[in-house]
Amino acid sequence: MILDSDSIKPIYVQIAEWLETEILHDHIKVDEKMYSQYQLADMFTINPATAAKGITMLINEEILYKKRGLGTFVSSYAKGIILSKRKNETLNKLVEELVSEARHLEVSEKELIQLIIEANSNVKGDK
Amino acid sequence: MNVIETRQLTKTYGRKHALNQFSISVEEKKITALIGRNGAGKTTLLKLISGFDRQTSGELKVFSEKPYNNLKVSANMIFIDDNMNLPSSLNLSQLLIVANNFYDKFDLPLAERLIDYFSLPRTATHQSLSKGMKSTFNMIFGLCSRCALTIFDEPTTGMDSAVRKDFYRALLKDYIEHPRSIVLSSHLLNELIDILEEVILINKGNLIFHLPVEELKSYAIGLEGENELLEELIHSKEIIYKQHIGVKNTYLVIKNDLTKQELVKLGDSGIKVTAISPDDLCVHLTAETKGGIDDVFNQG
Repeated sequence: MILDSDSIKPIYVQIAEWLETEILHDHIKVDEKMYSQYQLADMFTINPATAAKGITMLINEEILYKKRGLGTFVSSYAKGIILSKRKNETLNKLVEELVSEARHLEVSEKELIQLIIEANSNVKGDK
Repeated sequence: MNVIETRQLTKTYGRKHALNQFSISVEEKKITALIGRNGAGKTTLLKLISGFDRQTSGELKVFSEKPYNNLKVSANMIFIDDNMNLPSSLNLSQLLIVANNFYDKFDLPLAERLIDYFSLPRTATHQSLSKGMKSTFNMIFGLCSRCALTIFDEPTTGMDSAVRKDFYRALLKDYIEHPRSIVLSSHLLNELIDILEEVILINKGNLIFHLPVEELKSYAIGLEGENELLEELIHSKEIIYKQHIGVKNTYLVIKNDLTKQELVKLGDSGIKVTAISPDDLCVHLTAETKGGIDDVFNQG
């Protein structure tokens, strides 16, 4: 992944999201050790303090837990927390933007729903 | 612990205040950038910190001591700029050996590997190098000395963008292995921002802000939309920059103290909200007028 420096999202949030995706894709499983702040700093050429902030964010959300002197590990309910978080934050926000954009373009509610159904069946068809 | 502490630090040259009541505290083992326009006072500040010059008034402590004429400070500090006074009778390899004898923690093998990586001619003298190569050598010199306080004054002058990228990465990698206090002054904030922990913005000898990098991104936001709409929505806000676009539209940069409701309201009324890059933010905050260069031409 290449970090997006132009995004309004702070780098530490982008790091946290990247780690979440690693967990969702089973690249790092429950109770396995997460990358250290220094590994992340080296991987993405970012300041270790920034990487640490990303990790701390996930500890506070109980996606990761700390073992003193050993590092941070993936908690057993990590996936569930990430999924519900993404649903609540990302999806809701996308829907809000979609609705607002549709209103600017004078797309009716019915047309919008039709568009979503079509997009959804296209995705299913691809699989 | 603070590696650098200044209080009301002032330096005047004749009547000009190069630094004006400048107060900052820089914690140790952080990478900090000092950003400012030409003549903002960056080099003056760094030279005072390095003990190369004396302040006119105010207090300055480096490693809790006064840096001027101070052996403890000079032994633990290195100041790198493009006027490095290196003996012309020694070639690059010899310069590194001398540095290795002088600086306690100098990493000679790393210095030699870097010299080879950047294809610097080992037997050439420093004076015979091109501008970019000189900067590259100085950077290697500063990096490998591993001083507790390492100061780079505009280290990337003359370097091409590939070398600059390598430099930032080398700096970061060595910092991860050997954490120490690093201060860099630069014009090019955008390309080095990711490796920083804190940013100090200075303008005309005055401190504008000293902030952790992640707060920089949310410090200001850009708004673009119709004049009347914008004016109504942001009448009480602090405007950092203003530019007219077309007849009816304005682009504004304001301090980002908007509430979530205000942001939603802006979005609903068709105003485009954009992020401000840290580089642009610094340019806008240190501009002479709210309209920038356009104001000069509008008066004609």
